[in-house]
Amino acid sequence: MTKPRLRTTAQWLLGIWLLVVAIAAFHWAPTARGFKGESSRIVFFHVPQAWVAVLAFCVNLVASLRYLRGRDPLDDARAAAAARLGLVFSVLATITGSLFAHVMWGSFWNWDPREVSIVILLLIYAAYFALREAITDDERRASLAAAYAILAFVTMPFLIFIVPRIYFSLHPDTLINTRGAMDMESRMFQVLMGSLVGFTGLFSWLYTLDVRLAKIRLARRRREEV
Amino acid sequence: MPASDSLVWVTAVTVVIWAGIFVYCMGLDRRIRRLEGEE
Repeated sequence: MTKPRLRTTAQWLLGIWLLVVAIAAFHWAPTARGFKGESSRIVFFHVPQAWVAVLAFCVNLVASLRYLRGRDPLDDARAAAAARLGLVFSVLATITGSLFAHVMWGSFWNWDPREVSIVILLLIYAAYFALREAITDDERRASLAAAYAILAFVTMPFLIFIVPRIYFSLHPDTLINTRGAMDMESRMFQVLMGSLVGFTGLFSWLYTLDVRLAKIRLARRRREEV
Repeated sequence: MPASDSLVWVTAVTVVIWAGIFVYCMGLDRRIRRLEGEE
């Protein structure tokens, strides 16, 4: 099978996979006890979005480190693509989180440590793009953005994993709790895992599209320079 | 509205959003492939 054909097959499989996940999330998985109405079903979208955001920021870090080592403009493009997607998925996780908050706690915004920490993280990565936009010289922009990305990433585990566990939070217990056990009904767990796989596939697809576009742009720029 | 009815609506909206993203990405992929061919 040729590469484009393999890619198209993978895309269609992903399309069907996420379609099945969407239907299973609402019609096959049961609702969790202790949650209002159907609100617990948001976990099948909210958690994968948050996971993809973390994954994207990890990819951003790796690409930034690679740029600082090799000074390849494509690594800078990879870092920017990952940060862009990380930002988009963080916004989606924030929106789905506040929808859940509205149903469960009666307000879209409750100043919960998790709500505040994700917004701080959003601002940190929004500043990454502000920095990129502020510098016109390509090499200087790429170097400073890579250095900033490393600093930004250092705050990520602190804001996502540590702060919400230090302070009292309304947020439901995480999947892997302090006992290290998976306290989830098996069908819910299967749908969640399916969704995590699907969203990771979606991230990988969007990321690849962005990087391929950057490759074309770089090749054109090189031709213009020659 | 009964819960099952609203769930059908939410499913429909989710599927439409996902279908939109899928069609957009497929279109973008095709365009990029054409540009790669021109390079």
